[in-house]
Amino acid sequence: MIHLANIDKYYDSRFQRTFVLKDINLKVNEGEFVSIMGPSGSGKSTLLNIIGLLDQPSAGDYQLDGQSMLNLREKEVVGFLRNFMGFIFQAYHLIEEMTVYENIETPLIYKGVKSKDRQAMIADLLDRFNMVAKKELFPTQLSGGQQQLVGIARAIVGKPRLLLADEPTGNLHSGQGEMIMETLRALNREGMTIVQVTHNEKFAGYGSRIIRLEDGYIRSDQPALTTERIA
Amino acid sequence: MFRYFLTGIYRNVLKDKVTSLINLVNLTIGFTTFILLGMVVSYEFSFDKFNTNFDRIYRVQTKQEDSYPINYCTFSPAAFRYHLMADQPEVEQVLLMREVSAGQGGGQFFQLPDGSQLFEKDGYFSENAIFDIFSYHILEGNPQHALDEPNQIMLSEKLRQKLFPEGNAVGKKVLIGKRFLLTVVGVYADLPYHASLRPSYLVSLSTYELFAGIQKYRDNWTYIDNDNFVLLRKGADPARVNERIHNAFKEVKNFEKSSPYLHPLSKMHISPNSQPDMIVGLSILSLAGLLVLVLSCVNYVNLSLAGSTRRAAEIGIKKVVGFSGRVIAVQFIAETLVLTFLAMILGMGFAQLASPMMANILRSNAVFRIFDYGALLVVLLGTAILAGIASGLYPALVLASYNPIKVLKGKLFAGKGNAFSLRKVLTTAQFSISLFMLIVSLILYAHVNFILNKDLGFESRNLLFTEIHPRQPVDFESVRQRLLVHPEIVDATFSNTIPFQGNIGGFVSWDGAAQDQKEMISRNYVNYEFVPTFGLKMLYGRNFSKDYPSDDKSCLINETALKVFGWKDPIGKQIFMNGRPFPVIGVVKDFHPFSVHNPIPSYIMFLKDKNELTGEAQLTVRFSEGNKGKARDIITAELSTALPDEPFEVKEFSVIFYLDLAITFWQSMKKLFFFFAVVTLLISSMGLFGLILFTTKRRTKEIGVRKVLGSSVGSIYTELSSEVVWLIGFAILVACPAAILIYRTMPGAYKEPLNLTEFLLAIAVTILMAFLTITYHVLKVAVQNPVKALRYE
Ligand SMILES: Nc1ncnc2c1ncn2[C@@H]1O[C@H](COP(=O)(O)OP(=O)(O)O)[C@@H](O)[C@H]1O
Ligand SMILES: [Mg+2]
Repeated sequence: MIHLANIDKYYDSRFQRTFVLKDINLKVNEGEFVSIMGPSGSGKSTLLNIIGLLDQPSAGDYQLDGQSMLNLREKEVVGFLRNFMGFIFQAYHLIEEMTVYENIETPLIYKGVKSKDRQAMIADLLDRFNMVAKKELFPTQLSGGQQQLVGIARAIVGKPRLLLADEPTGNLHSGQGEMIMETLRALNREGMTIVQVTHNEKFAGYGSRIIRLEDGYIRSDQPALTTERIA
Repeated sequence: MFRYFLTGIYRNVLKDKVTSLINLVNLTIGFTTFILLGMVVSYEFSFDKFNTNFDRIYRVQTKQEDSYPINYCTFSPAAFRYHLMADQPEVEQVLLMREVSAGQGGGQFFQLPDGSQLFEKDGYFSENAIFDIFSYHILEGNPQHALDEPNQIMLSEKLRQKLFPEGNAVGKKVLIGKRFLLTVVGVYADLPYHASLRPSYLVSLSTYELFAGIQKYRDNWTYIDNDNFVLLRKGADPARVNERIHNAFKEVKNFEKSSPYLHPLSKMHISPNSQPDMIVGLSILSLAGLLVLVLSCVNYVNLSLAGSTRRAAEIGIKKVVGFSGRVIAVQFIAETLVLTFLAMILGMGFAQLASPMMANILRSNAVFRIFDYGALLVVLLGTAILAGIASGLYPALVLASYNPIKVLKGKLFAGKGNAFSLRKVLTTAQFSISLFMLIVSLILYAHVNFILNKDLGFESRNLLFTEIHPRQPVDFESVRQRLLVHPEIVDATFSNTIPFQGNIGGFVSWDGAAQDQKEMISRNYVNYEFVPTFGLKMLYGRNFSKDYPSDDKSCLINETALKVFGWKDPIGKQIFMNGRPFPVIGVVKDFHPFSVHNPIPSYIMFLKDKNELTGEAQLTVRFSEGNKGKARDIITAELSTALPDEPFEVKEFSVIFYLDLAITFWQSMKKLFFFFAVVTLLISSMGLFGLILFTTKRRTKEIGVRKVLGSSVGSIYTELSSEVVWLIGFAILVACPAAILIYRTMPGAYKEPLNLTEFLLAIAVTILMAFLTITYHVLKVAVQNPVKALRYE
């Protein structure tokens, strides 16, 4: 599904060119659950943002489902964001002026889903995440784990084919983190392709494949030992 | 601690130069406007206060209840002086004076050493008491008996310089009106610019009695064309005097419904004849000045809040280190006060610099000096403190209440959706004020244009006139024929008064009137060519004509009079004046005989005796388009030949029209308000800038999130602007009724009917301004890469 070939990402300052990503070659197939690891500043977020069309590579080729993602027009990007991808962030990035329900509803509105259908879809998710009672609360009234669940709900309510998660458990203690990872695994098992960035070796193991970045290079790319195997 | 305060303030101001500068500019504009206005208002209320007897001086005026609308005439009969006021126990001094050539444009000609004629206005016949009642500074001569004898004249310093540049005027002779030789008995310093009465020269009243040849002038109750002043004893109650003199006219025929009353000197300038124009205008202006200041304070709050993100980290750290919220709040308020005072001082400077412009707008030769107005300075100081605290308080509280942990985590604006409702109130206030000012400016603009372009009922362009007083009767037709020889001259007429210049009133009765029914009517004595020269339109009947010798015993009336008399078929009906009948031969379409401010009165015209120029007359000439200069020369030449001994000055009719008080006043108002509208727009666009900067800053992250969720720039724009749309909607609901209220309180008989365009235009400008600003900010944020907005973690 994802095909990155010879991707470079650099920033030019007055005197030098700083490479954030260098010669990245990566293929991710439909249904995979990929974990990206690496030290801080190694380019993980940048890579994820390029995959998610939030950022453009400086050089190289990027194809999604065989279609080139270079030089897309604003409208096309918006189309992919609405229909193809979902994002989960470390800082949740919920809209604080909106209730849980409204937060989850937002992407559906952008997608143009009818009000009735929206209600049904959101109700399903709230049910699944055991948050029906909290739908009228504001984000600040929830715990971090609950906020991230809302973040996930918002990311997947539009049934994206690709879910991108940048350190989704970074701000959570391990108990809540595990719950989130379980949720992601379940989603993957239902067929959703997932690419996550994580610092946590154990959480990386929830995926089927681990890519390690160092200074913008892919250091290694190998199948994960499944958590079952570690346990 | 204090030092920490000062350095803290100093550093904060320097740290964000742009915000500090915008804030300072904003407050300075607010204060400049407020002070300018304060100076105008203080100036208008400072009139005559220089008189030591200020609160004991009254003018005895005449209230005429049978005129419509009730007329508060500033003039009074000469009899008041000897037969009414002199006997009142409360009265210490009485003074009778009258304008030289009163009521007819005033003034006299003075012969200069080289023999040429100088026309000098603002001359008065007066008694010596003027120096006891009012505060005059005598430069030459003895004021004790200066104006006791006939043929004596006192000169103002200004006039003295023109007539006797070499000095030592006392004892010298001046020839006025080419015929009266007067002796100069003294010179007084020019009166200050804020004196209502600024005589250029004073002639002894006995001179008038001698030359005018009016029998028993001092006993006359019927000519209401004098100024009577009184000085009350200390502690005397003017109400008691008013009570006692109320019925003074009862025994005087035709004046039963008039009554004398004391009008205090304090109101002589603001409201000489109890018309509210000036007070209403000044109130509207004061309101406007205050609103502009409030607007700039609201802006300050908005801008401060917008800048508060910048200070959040600093405050977070301070709190962690152990500063209390109170110290932080007090520091911010102190900072605001310093800025406010700086703005006030700058404002005083700028206002002083801009004051000549103000004087120009007001068409006054006033000199504004800010330090002359003690009360204003006190108000200003209070306002500055109040404004400083008011605009510092809310941001201070917001800043002080920041939760340090959240602030340091960059979660400044955590909270529910309605957390910033006060901001919404302030913003709505801001929109409402600007919209209100805009609408009122547009209304005034339209109103003044309406008055200026109002159909006067006669053709006011291409007219020249002159006032002339021939000693010997002169046949007018021969003068007219001499003028008509020139193709530039279209027609010529003469009359006792002309529109906008002078007015004679009197009572009439008419065919079909009830037993004691009377109408106060404005009357004029005209010749055959008055109607065609002024371009009056005949509705019924005909103009005066030489073919009908009996026309000298008939009259023309106007439409309004016709309505009052209630005649179906006016021609041949009679009106009665002093018991004599005058048959009506024609009715003219209504025209404005004086100020467009007043409703058109009933009007009657009689034919001048024998078509001869005698006594006081206005000679009016219509010239053909584009020949004003030539026509002026022709008139000057022909009149000088026809009447070699009479001084005169040819004037433009349009000039007196524009001198009409109603017009000058509302024209100044229009200009002032235009000035305010510009200031308001300027300030509110600054405020809007701050507001939207704040909103978008607060929502930068949100916009980023929304973009990731698939929102297009368009829908972000819609979402952000919908809030502003609501605010504007609310502002419209507040501003429109307020503006309508102002319109209603505007005085005047003829107002431009309220017009939807003024409202729509103002609303459109406000909306446009709001959306330009929104567009700028939103696009800036919305177009940027969302990753940037979401970066900090
Ligand atoms: N706009 C930018 N200009 C310059 N350098 C940048 C910019 N954005 C990111 N970087 C640099 O790119 C590197 C990788 O950043 P990032 O992808 O966020 O790393 P990670 O997510 O692995 O911690 C960092 O060193 C960061 O400083
Ligand atoms: Mg990162």
